[in-house]
Amino acid sequence: MKKLFKYTFLSILFLSVTSCSNSLLDKEPISNFSGEGYYKKPSDAQAGVNGIYNGLQALFRQNYAYWGEGRADNVVTRHAADPAALQQNTLTPIINSARWDNFYTVISRANYAIKYIPQAFGAEDSELKKQLLGQAHALRALAYFYLVRIWGEVPLVIEPYEGLGQELFVQKNTEAEVLAKVEEDLMLATENCAANYSGAGNRVLITKGAAYAFLTQLYMWQKKYARAIEMSEKVLEDPQYTLVSIEDWNNIFVKGSSAESIFEVGYNEVQTNNLRIWYAMGSDSDYVPSTSFIASIEPGDLRKPRIYDVSQVQPRKIWKFFGQGFNDESPEPSSGNIVLTRVADIVLLKAEAHAHLNQTVEALDLLNSIRIRAGLSALDQNNASIQFGSLLTGILHERSIELCFEGHRWFDLVRTGTAISIMKPINGLSDNRNLLWPIHEGELLKNPNLKQNEFYR
Amino acid sequence: MKFNATQCKLWLSYYVPSLFFLHVLLIIPAGAIAQQKTIIGKVIDAVAKTPLLGVTVKLEDKNGTTITTDKQGGFILENGTIGQSLTFSFVGYSSQTIKIDSRTSYTIALVAVSNMIEETVVVGYGRQKKRNLTGAIVSVGAAEIEKTTLQDPISILQGRAAGVQVSSNSGAPGGEMSIRVRGSSSLNSGNNPLFVVDGIPLESNSISSLNGTENSGLNPMADINPSDIASIEILKDAASTAIYGSRAANGVVMITTKRGAAGKPEVILNANAGVSSLTRKLSVLNARQYREAVLDSYRGMTIPEDPFYTIIDSLNPMNNGDVDWQDELMRTAKQYKLDLSVRGGNEGTKYAWSSSYLDQDGVILNSNYKRFTSRLNVDFTISDRVRIGQSISYTNAVNNRTNAAGSGNLSIIRSLLIRPPNMSMYLPDGSLNGYMIGQRNPVGMALFSTNLNKSNRIIGSQYLEIDIYKDLKFRNNVNLDYISMKEDEFMPSILDYREGYNSGAVRSSGNLTWGNESYFTYTKNVADKHHIGAVLGMSFQKWRYDRTGLNGEYFPSDDIRTLNGASVISNQGVNVASEHAMLSYFGRVTYDYEGKYLLEFNLRTDGSSRFGRERRFGFFPSASAGWRFVEEESIKNLGWLSDGKLRFSLGSTGNEAIGDYTSRGEFTLGTNYLDFSGAAPTVMPNPSLTWENTHQYNLGLELGFFNNRILFSTDAYLKKTKDLLYNVPTPGTSGFEFITQNIGSIENRGLEFSLQTRNLEGAFRWNTNVNISLNRNKVTSLPKNLLTNGHIQNGNFHILKEGLPIGVFYGWSFLGVYARDEDNTNKLTNGANGAVFVGGDPIWKDVNNDKIIDQNDREIIGYAEPKYFGGISNDFSYKNFHLNVFFQYAVGNQIYNELNHQRNSIVRYNNLSTDALNRWREQGDQTDFPRLIRDDPKQSDSRVQSRWVEDGSYLKLKNVNLRYSFDSAWSKRIGLRKLDAFVTATNLVTWTKYTGFDPDVNSYSGLRVGLDEGSYPQSRTFTFGLIFGL
Repeated sequence: MKKLFKYTFLSILFLSVTSCSNSLLDKEPISNFSGEGYYKKPSDAQAGVNGIYNGLQALFRQNYAYWGEGRADNVVTRHAADPAALQQNTLTPIINSARWDNFYTVISRANYAIKYIPQAFGAEDSELKKQLLGQAHALRALAYFYLVRIWGEVPLVIEPYEGLGQELFVQKNTEAEVLAKVEEDLMLATENCAANYSGAGNRVLITKGAAYAFLTQLYMWQKKYARAIEMSEKVLEDPQYTLVSIEDWNNIFVKGSSAESIFEVGYNEVQTNNLRIWYAMGSDSDYVPSTSFIASIEPGDLRKPRIYDVSQVQPRKIWKFFGQGFNDESPEPSSGNIVLTRVADIVLLKAEAHAHLNQTVEALDLLNSIRIRAGLSALDQNNASIQFGSLLTGILHERSIELCFEGHRWFDLVRTGTAISIMKPINGLSDNRNLLWPIHEGELLKNPNLKQNEFYR
Repeated sequence: MKFNATQCKLWLSYYVPSLFFLHVLLIIPAGAIAQQKTIIGKVIDAVAKTPLLGVTVKLEDKNGTTITTDKQGGFILENGTIGQSLTFSFVGYSSQTIKIDSRTSYTIALVAVSNMIEETVVVGYGRQKKRNLTGAIVSVGAAEIEKTTLQDPISILQGRAAGVQVSSNSGAPGGEMSIRVRGSSSLNSGNNPLFVVDGIPLESNSISSLNGTENSGLNPMADINPSDIASIEILKDAASTAIYGSRAANGVVMITTKRGAAGKPEVILNANAGVSSLTRKLSVLNARQYREAVLDSYRGMTIPEDPFYTIIDSLNPMNNGDVDWQDELMRTAKQYKLDLSVRGGNEGTKYAWSSSYLDQDGVILNSNYKRFTSRLNVDFTISDRVRIGQSISYTNAVNNRTNAAGSGNLSIIRSLLIRPPNMSMYLPDGSLNGYMIGQRNPVGMALFSTNLNKSNRIIGSQYLEIDIYKDLKFRNNVNLDYISMKEDEFMPSILDYREGYNSGAVRSSGNLTWGNESYFTYTKNVADKHHIGAVLGMSFQKWRYDRTGLNGEYFPSDDIRTLNGASVISNQGVNVASEHAMLSYFGRVTYDYEGKYLLEFNLRTDGSSRFGRERRFGFFPSASAGWRFVEEESIKNLGWLSDGKLRFSLGSTGNEAIGDYTSRGEFTLGTNYLDFSGAAPTVMPNPSLTWENTHQYNLGLELGFFNNRILFSTDAYLKKTKDLLYNVPTPGTSGFEFITQNIGSIENRGLEFSLQTRNLEGAFRWNTNVNISLNRNKVTSLPKNLLTNGHIQNGNFHILKEGLPIGVFYGWSFLGVYARDEDNTNKLTNGANGAVFVGGDPIWKDVNNDKIIDQNDREIIGYAEPKYFGGISNDFSYKNFHLNVFFQYAVGNQIYNELNHQRNSIVRYNNLSTDALNRWREQGDQTDFPRLIRDDPKQSDSRVQSRWVEDGSYLKLKNVNLRYSFDSAWSKRIGLRKLDAFVTATNLVTWTKYTGFDPDVNSYSGLRVGLDEGSYPQSRTFTFGLIFGL
């Protein structure tokens, strides 16, 4: 009997080694944070905001040129799928550029940041906290601004999703509601962002100047010309933003972070984008310059050989973003930054605003500053009208050449109401409702409360 | 006269009749008597009564005297002593031990193993007699394993076990295998069974994180040397698996390694060497045919273009070659293996020691796998009640891998088949033409890129076993499985288009599984009629995985490949870790009445850290019953029926294989912006997340006829899985792609048959094993809001749809090629308002008859699930020869041959298969190969289409093994106990209509089954070996 006790005791001893309490099953993530408890310190807030920029990279990586250029007259393609659908105006709810997920990823990350940055800093009221909040608001605004321009009415989501309890099946808000939020967010950014961030980060992060530049774009879209002029002046009076010489023109894109750049999305060898696949993948890129675009370049324009491979009768390579003489057959992606706005953009928008307000002198001054850099003669109102029909048309033409392939053309056509007149002969575009993109089929299936844009129903 | 007790018994021992002999022997002190005598005997087959030649007869004396029987089955033993034991052992028969008594002549009848329903099999937390099993368990023994020269336990199971489907993800040495027990029962949580080696649940998923461009990882089970395995049991139904609870839904594979037995040490040395070669070469165009084909493709372009210079400029030394890339890259590969084992022991200590070394070249240049394994299993009896023991194995593997599969120009296999034959191997200056117009040189990739995997693994367990009181035992196991892996990757600048651009990466990963389990076992016989058994225990297990790594670029030289040489360390450095833990309680009760009526109950409760706090613990019960009707009096007397059992089981099991922290939501680090480190919310939390639940029903019948010369068994099962873990896509406006939820269900039902027959007995023996498995898989419900046109697109080629199995190909039906423009009588167009199909274009089936070929004309174009599959094994033996011929087959499955798509369509300047010689060239051509056209706006080639769906049925002569056992008299002369010589051929012949490298192919281990994107091809291997026994 003694032995029995001895061995029973021994067994129980071993058993107790394996007995463990339920708390052993509470495992906190080691290398990532659990969703509930991420924002704790200022460095978390910094990383959280960098995560929004990371979303921005992904957002523009694939579709940037499709949204801004694919439906307009400066490019032609012989590629199927998105390029063909956009060029032939046969947009369907299954094309890739009809997806908006990446915009809302940026928005979700920004919503988390906006909600939790104050908590990460606690009572502390630091400059960094203001800057981070400013950037988060600006990035959210940027995403919504593109959303409205591409899809029109979209759901306005300004709270982060933190569980199944929240309404997943959101409905659309009006364009005015969304743009009001864009304006509010950008205004907040102009107050909070730094005027510049020292070092390499300056042009790839949202500064006060960048927020003003996007406000300029926003007001031009809304045709609030006086407000646009006001905002553009804030940018142009800042000495860190100047036009570069024509010799450095390609370097705005090839090297990036030029003095002319106001905001560009940074990329590198690992975080790449499709610039080459769109424009210069040997002889097989998505896009080549259209005949009408080539014909519209004035003789003597110094930009011409900098824009594309002029040695070919049928040019197959766009050199603007890669440098003159660029020739590479490999299908690898690109590491160059995507410039969203630069001084020439703001100068020409300001010129346009002045022209609308019949301030011809100011408009011509600004327009000519761009023309002269390109080696072209200065225009006066008279020969602007002779050459282009009107000053406004002249400015739009200048934007088409100066900012070609940079993702502005389609939005310029829509904004100035010229999309149908220009695109109708090319692809039969004739319905104003057709200016918007369809919402991707997958999104409609996932959200029963969402209605397809009218033209595509 | 006064006797003391010993003397008395000593005296008695001379005189009492032999009836009492045994009893007396037990009491007589050893060595008290030492009368030696000559013993004559004969060994025969118990059923056929024929003599058995070559039976090992071992006398238990100091010298361990061993002899073998002659042709008449006879033996003579000159130094036998009464009381000593004689052990008779022979391949294919169960051994038998007798005690020498007063007789001098013996006849021993050995029973063939297949008669041995008395033998035991390994089950969860114990062993059970085969005759008493009420669950569906299939067993593969060492005798089967020894007939192959396969190097990992999973490939051995291919075709050898009913209900177990094994397919190759890669033919590379050490490459990943897919194993499915009774179909796939999960959509997202893995379908691998749980592997348990000597009671240790092992990591069976590849932890390799640098696979180059390979789709597949490595096979972690290749760390177990098959020569060490005594048996593999596959537990299939809920009755046998429920004791492993939340990890058992995909079945459990129990591997038991060989242990020592008391007796003189047995030394076995197995040395073998082999050669492998590609089983099939695929035909491609030569340089002239290639040029013609590409020139053809420029005709009919929407925007005309001049042919590329490599096509027309035939004088340029860069493009005037005619290279057969397959010949350049494939080789006859060699392999060597050495296995050494020593097993033995005495009553107190038993040991099994083994060591092996394998050096295996792959058929692709430079690919090689080296594996060293070492194992020690020891058991100590430290008192009459306490036993302890240990199993420990160490494996070191070095795998020089190949970037065989994958996409784009990084895949060797694809590159090999589509690289233009006119691209020269070398540049005019003699250096390798590494990169040219978007194509990497596959030979250069094989020779100069690095994809090296080095792993060290320790699997160990210790046990303590105590006989507490009579029938009550206690056992404690402490288990450890640790993998340490280091991987190096390097892509030299010679293979890149960027001047001086090379890149490298290094990863080091660790995977630790630690467990501690304790359980009580109780057995009781009441009046020899009621047999009761019980197990009750608990276990705690913990996993930790970590990985550290760096990527670098721009190394000044291709010769320095360590990261210190990189001039740019990219910011994709990783250092991550994750943990998970499980706490479980389990129990089992078995009862049988006179071995006739059998009952069993199992229960396990598992709590896992992976699941939400709200639903952390789950119950997994099972019940089963069996009726050995052969024991009934009325049936017992039927002469022809020698065994008969009916069994039924039902129960529930789970699958907990989801992300360690999914239920809690996640902020992921590494979402960087340039060099600024970032973090972003990537996983939406779901605190109610829990395991997948499988209910399984099984009905089995086992029959034996004519003294078990014919053994037949069949099982029918129904497996219903619900609460499938699914990443339910959320609206994009949420900012998350999905939220993981328990939603959806799936069903597998099937039949399994196996038949073992001893066709011929006597001098010439012939045994046959046949198995057939049928499994019908069906997705029974999917989340409604995920469906697009009633289904979920699963990758490019597959869909998931309610009522259909996993592995359905979905696309356009290709009906042929329009011979002339006017043959398109319905004026079908490519999309609404698109171009009309003309001569040379494919004829697509207009499913909805709207004369528009678009997304809505897709339909189901094939099924990857075989109608049935299995294996046929035949064993022949005559005198000293033993021959095993093993076929493996699958019937009725289809394969989406994506590789054929790649090599039959013109994308840029790629080569084509010789099928392209039949291409449509001009109006009126009758062919099934469409015209070649570049930038085809009608996307003829890139559509997912029935043109690439092929019949994947096959019959494969998988293994032929011929063994010659030298007469022991002869081997003894050179000092050996035993000497065998063998030749084995693997993958000897495959009969199939499939046009790819091999129909046994599966590019992905997940749900995208039956897809061939070009994996490392299978090889045919011939091995010669010698087995020495000391």
